Amino acid sequence: MSEPTVHVVDDDGPFLLAMSRLLRASGFSVKTYVSATDFLAEREEDAPGCVVVDLRMPEFSGLDLQTALARARHPLPLLFLTGHADTASTVQAMRGGAEDFLEKRAPKEQLLDAVQRALARDARERAERSRQDEVHQRFETISPREREVLGLVLQGRLNKQIAGDLGIHERTVKVHRKSIMTKLGVRSVAALTRLAQEAGMPPPPGSTFP
Amino acid sequence: MSPVTIVYSMIGGVCFTLAAVHLPVWLRNREARASLAFAVAAICSGAIACGELLMLTAATPAEYVAAQKWNHVPIALLLVALAAFGYHYLRAGRLWLALLGIGVRLVALAINFGIGENLNFLEVTALGRVPYMGEEVAVAIGVRNPWLVLTQLDTFVLMLFFADASVTAWRHGRRTEALLVGGSLTVFMLASAGRSMLVFWAGVQMPSMVSLFSLGVMLVTGYALSMDLLRARQLADELSERELQATLAAEAANLGTWTRDIANGTVQVSKKWRELFGFAPGEPLTLPSLLQRIHVDDRAAFDHRLMQAARDGGDYHIELRLVLPDEKTRWIAASGRVAFDARGRALRTRGACIDITARKRQERETLRLRQDIAHVGRVSVMGQLASALAHEINQPLGAILRNAEAAAIFLQDPSPDLAEITAILEDIRKDDQRAGAVIDRMRTLLRRQEVAMTELDLSQVLGDVATLVGPDAAARHVAMQLVVAPGLPPVHGDRVQLQQVLLNLILNAMDALRSEGDRHRTVAVTARREGPETLEISVADTGCGIPAAQIDRVFDPFFTTKTTGIGMGLSISRSIVETHGGRLWAENNAVRGATFRFTLPVAAWA
Repeated sequence: MSEPTVHVVDDDGPFLLAMSRLLRASGFSVKTYVSATDFLAEREEDAPGCVVVDLRMPEFSGLDLQTALARARHPLPLLFLTGHADTASTVQAMRGGAEDFLEKRAPKEQLLDAVQRALARDARERAERSRQDEVHQRFETISPREREVLGLVLQGRLNKQIAGDLGIHERTVKVHRKSIMTKLGVRSVAALTRLAQEAGMPPPPGSTFP
Repeated sequence: MSPVTIVYSMIGGVCFTLAAVHLPVWLRNREARASLAFAVAAICSGAIACGELLMLTAATPAEYVAAQKWNHVPIALLLVALAAFGYHYLRAGRLWLALLGIGVRLVALAINFGIGENLNFLEVTALGRVPYMGEEVAVAIGVRNPWLVLTQLDTFVLMLFFADASVTAWRHGRRTEALLVGGSLTVFMLASAGRSMLVFWAGVQMPSMVSLFSLGVMLVTGYALSMDLLRARQLADELSERELQATLAAEAANLGTWTRDIANGTVQVSKKWRELFGFAPGEPLTLPSLLQRIHVDDRAAFDHRLMQAARDGGDYHIELRLVLPDEKTRWIAASGRVAFDARGRALRTRGACIDITARKRQERETLRLRQDIAHVGRVSVMGQLASALAHEINQPLGAILRNAEAAAIFLQDPSPDLAEITAILEDIRKDDQRAGAVIDRMRTLLRRQEVAMTELDLSQVLGDVATLVGPDAAARHVAMQLVVAPGLPPVHGDRVQLQQVLLNLILNAMDALRSEGDRHRTVAVTARREGPETLEISVADTGCGIPAAQIDRVFDPFFTTKTTGIGMGLSISRSIVETHGGRLWAENNAVRGATFRFTLPVAAWA
């Protein structure tokens, strides 16, 4: 995995330069952009990092960038900077999932902490996303018949009932169940249920857990 | 004494008396030519009466002939005088007819002294006697002079002249004059011609009686003329009554009135005027002494306006300061009119003045109040701008902070990159200046100051304001367009006040865009030349426009559609623009949004 990058977006050249100096001096890898559109055009989707963005910019503001990033497959945590914080935009930014909202002259420690937190969050979210991808891949290996059986198991049906529902022998059901457990790498029905939930297969409403 | 002697003497007496009444009228007023003509006619009539009396009482043919001969002189003069009288009194008639009649009569007068005994007779052989007024009077018997027919001709021509003049006067609405004067003159001519023809053609023996007819004319026309004098007297009474009323009104209104005769330089003034200008009653007045009272700074302007009025005609109105003998200053408003004679020469100046010191004081107070309000308004505008300015100031301050922090970290390195640190220090210096410039701009805007009118480059003023609202516009996603026509002349104005007007209009325009989608958020500021002496600045937005019912009300004080506004911005802006000699108004755009426009006079014209 490549080194995480702090992307700084600000239309004010001198501030952009000063900001990148401080972050580099503090040991971060930094890239600067004078507009949000520049950043969107140049970013590599799956590269880790975070964005430090000026709230007020002509044409494409920090909040607009937040909206645009939210639709991407790999969103980056956003850290807002502003000359003068007003409540309305703070609320909007935080509601949109911003990592933090800082004044331009916030203490250095607060700023660096926030960048650290944003990078850590990105790493965490990235790991989470790759785990989910892996689970999805595991579910891909299950055959259509096994998927039918899995659905009924998650509804809490007993082997005998499942055999009746599908018109097959109870022993065949047991073979399918074993194969499913092996393919998904789980040992118990409880673990199976949790994994299925993670993969987006919740039990149908109304059913009860055995 | 015989009745004839009595009657003809009385005719003469009456005629001379009438002349004595009307001649002085002409002597007093040389314009009264009708009075002169009437007086001459009356004198002639009196003379004719005397001549005829001599004829009627003549003892020998020689006496008769001589009297008759010389009597033709006053008769001719009488006709001239009557023609002149009719012409002037009726203010009508064909001059050539009158001249033709008089010409013929003068020819007859020459014949009177050249051919035969006189105009009537080639030769008189004897005197006859005819009964007249209860006694016997003389008539001549002999060979008639055929040239006498000329007198009938000219009498006929003059009769035509009078008849024509009467009809014209009647048509012009002067009916009494036409009937009385024109009618009697015409009848007189008709009677004279008729009598003459009876004597000449039918050989009727008749005593001479021209003066009898002319007496009638004199009485009738004298009556009309006296009526005129009476009316003139009434008019004079009315005039003095009016003058009295005017004086009363002027005094009630505290108006001081003055009249200056331009030809002889005398100045006549009312009592109130003396009070206003601080002249004691009876103190002699001349134009220089009057000008001396006017404040030095206003003297040239007053002189100029007066000269201008005298040259171009018409009225003048000026407000100026007087410095009274006690050194006090008094403001007056002076109005007046220059009167001209028929040839367009300035005759006299009439004027009225009123004390406006109190009003001026009030105006000054109002101006001060308005400046206070403008200050408040500016402060509230600044409130709206505060967030934008904080952003602009925090930008360089933030950069300084981050640079300093970075430099501190770099210096911890055992072998610090000195080139980098030098660059950082240079950047810190620049950012400090940047922050200072923002503060200076804000201070200029906030400072409360008297109006300082200077020559301003409009593009610079507009540029400053655009820079000021730039961050705010960016934050609100508004595209600002600034179009200044090249080569605009400077305007005369107060930089801060004009900036305030522009700020107000631009911030309003941006407010109007609040509910619009991003695509339509545009504010266009345009400056262009509107006329030889005017520039026009417009601020156009692409917002929702102004409801038609409110377009006239937006400039009212305390009118606002915003939840946070106090509704003073446009009202103050308008008063500022008007102080600058311009106009500020609003109109809705054809497609979308509204445009606020104001004009400013070009500096050279202000």
